[in-house]
Amino acid sequence: MSQGVMQSDVGNHGLVLDPRTKLLLLITMAVFVLGGTGTAALWFLTPSLCILPLVLLLSAKKFISAVLYLTVYLATYSVFHFVGPKTTGVPNFLLLGTAGIITRFMPSVMMGIYVVSTTTVSEFTAAMQRMRVSERLVIPMSVMFRFFPTVADEFSSINAAMRMRGVSFAGKNAGKMLEYRLVPLLTCSSKIGEELSAAALTRGLGGDIRRTNVCEIGFRVLDYAMILVCIVPFIMLILRWFEVSVF
Amino acid sequence: MIEMKNLDFRYANSNTGALNNFSLTVDEGEIVLLCGESGCGKTTVTRLINGLIPHFYEGELNGRVTVGGVDAVKAELYETARIVGSVFQNPRSQFFCVDTTSEIAFACENMGLPEDTIKMRIREAARDMEAESLLGRSIFKLSGGEKQKIACASVAAAHPEVFVLDEPTSNLDMEAIESLRRTILLWKSLGKTVVIAEHRLHWLRDVCDRVIYMSGGGIGIDLPMSKFAAMPPEKLQKLGLRPLSLDKLKNETPPAISGDTLELRNFCFSYDGKKQALDIKSLVLPRNGIIAVIGSNGAGKSTFSKCLCGLEKKFGGKVLIDGTACGRRALLKKSYMVMQDVNHQLFCESVEDEVRLGMSEDNEKDVQGILNQLDLLPYVDRHPVSLSGGQKQRVAIASALLADKEILVFDEPTSGLDYRHMKETAALFKSLLGKRTLFVITHDPELILSCCTHALHMENGGIREFYPLDDNGGRRLIDYFINNDKEEKNIEKTV
Repeated sequence: MSQGVMQSDVGNHGLVLDPRTKLLLLITMAVFVLGGTGTAALWFLTPSLCILPLVLLLSAKKFISAVLYLTVYLATYSVFHFVGPKTTGVPNFLLLGTAGIITRFMPSVMMGIYVVSTTTVSEFTAAMQRMRVSERLVIPMSVMFRFFPTVADEFSSINAAMRMRGVSFAGKNAGKMLEYRLVPLLTCSSKIGEELSAAALTRGLGGDIRRTNVCEIGFRVLDYAMILVCIVPFIMLILRWFEVSVF
Repeated sequence: MIEMKNLDFRYANSNTGALNNFSLTVDEGEIVLLCGESGCGKTTVTRLINGLIPHFYEGELNGRVTVGGVDAVKAELYETARIVGSVFQNPRSQFFCVDTTSEIAFACENMGLPEDTIKMRIREAARDMEAESLLGRSIFKLSGGEKQKIACASVAAAHPEVFVLDEPTSNLDMEAIESLRRTILLWKSLGKTVVIAEHRLHWLRDVCDRVIYMSGGGIGIDLPMSKFAAMPPEKLQKLGLRPLSLDKLKNETPPAISGDTLELRNFCFSYDGKKQALDIKSLVLPRNGIIAVIGSNGAGKSTFSKCLCGLEKKFGGKVLIDGTACGRRALLKKSYMVMQDVNHQLFCESVEDEVRLGMSEDNEKDVQGILNQLDLLPYVDRHPVSLSGGQKQRVAIASALLADKEILVFDEPTSGLDYRHMKETAALFKSLLGKRTLFVITHDPELILSCCTHALHMENGGIREFYPLDDNGGRRLIDYFINNDKEEKNIEKTV
């Protein structure tokens, strides 16, 4: 997974959405599906929003994730509504608990997967800049995304070295295993981090001029459609609040 | 263009000075080679030119550095960065972005250039570096040579007046070195000033105008290339330098080894189930020899070594040792790889713990002997991370020997080493000759000719040639390293 975070090759974006739209989609999902805000009154909201990640994943040709999402979600949903009421006591409690957690978390998680696997770091940086987020925040974050695959690389080399030495989890000393992994990982990562900063600084990072960004981002028709989809539930929520306060 | 006057520099956590009263003037358009043994201060000089000293690496500095009229000591790093472009040794860690196009744009973006100009410069730089096919790719899927091309393009796109390269070829094969050579010649023709700190000298013979040999933080020799190249090879060796031309390399005829053999069977492997990354049906190799594994990047050398060490889970091949067939699991026990970055395989708090980790109990009595043989006895209580590169390599070898490993695989053991350290590594390998089977994956012809007994030349996952390194074989090897690039081109043309 870590190899896929913010690493998408150019040209594999599916429906082209602006990173800011994706962020809004993610927030909407989190508020209404994960947070469950207003779901009691707007019963149709959750299911309709849950379709969104499915459509987006399919458009990005992530078929395995899409199918997995559909099956797991439908299965837990039916368990929740059809099997759940027929059980009682502890099994009922466990069943409803698990199914409830999965139906609430999964759509947002899938949306998250869609977002990180279709956005490149440059798009992310460009979007942050357009939103006037301070460079002090944007640069460390983009370095972090740059660092994930590097750490994954280091980790697999260390793992290989451990296997050749015959050190594995089969032994009983799990604490030692952690130490054996962390010591080389820290040594290598800190060295790479230092070289990375030196290279970035010699390319003029941190100057007094406002950076340009060649990454083409911008709102298109599809973005406006998605934004509309996201705004509708919020408006409905606000309207409901007023009604409640009237009574 | 560059003026350094009476420089003294000492790194913050070191007792000895890196530079002592160092003065150097480089004219506009000059291509200067900085050479000398490890620790002579070459890298320090490059860091002073690009401003990393004193702004990033701290220490005590006296003296003046002016680059293109800018006082590099006082000016902020980003101001110096507009004049000086830097290419570093490790292609893994000099990229800020994750895709190639953004990486080339990065320096220009930092300068706040308009978008259209940047796009034009990306195209121009990619064309100049022959890297057009690499645009829009993920950095993590490029080979070392391709990464170095992108690094050059990224620097060139910012149009600096001065280029500084710090050991740029350490991780490159011959073809990539040739491409880098063309790049520097291009910069030369544009009248740029270039300073290269480097151990491998042969590719720079007709590139550099001037050679500066450094020792102990000062200038030892300052000659035009024509005069420097006229020095006899023995003199260069005495200075601790690698040779200036490969065709004069001498092959040290290796001693004969016993007739035992290792047999590789069904060494085939594919990562995606379609393209064969490794395709060797059967191969008989001499046991306990030192076998150099050569071939261009992407020829399957690292897949070969991973399979040989039993690290690829889906690998189904076998090695016949003494008539017993060893599959993947047995190979994992029998072989050991010393990685290019040895830091990946040092886990413990002291050298002694390190070599005992994974040791078979019968070897208890050999611990002292092997530590002594590898000159590690004075360091048994030191933390492995605090040792020098060569010492770390020896610790890794000691642990492999004590774990009863039959097959040792070395991945680029001499990348970035000067002549003396390379020779030390070669001597170490020779001391293992006849005791273990060594596979040395390398792009370093000097190392191969100093210690290896056989050469295994891989291309496209298969074996192109396998030959003993006697006088004839030595010739063949040198030919390969000199003509490799031309040959590749001819093949491309005929296809």
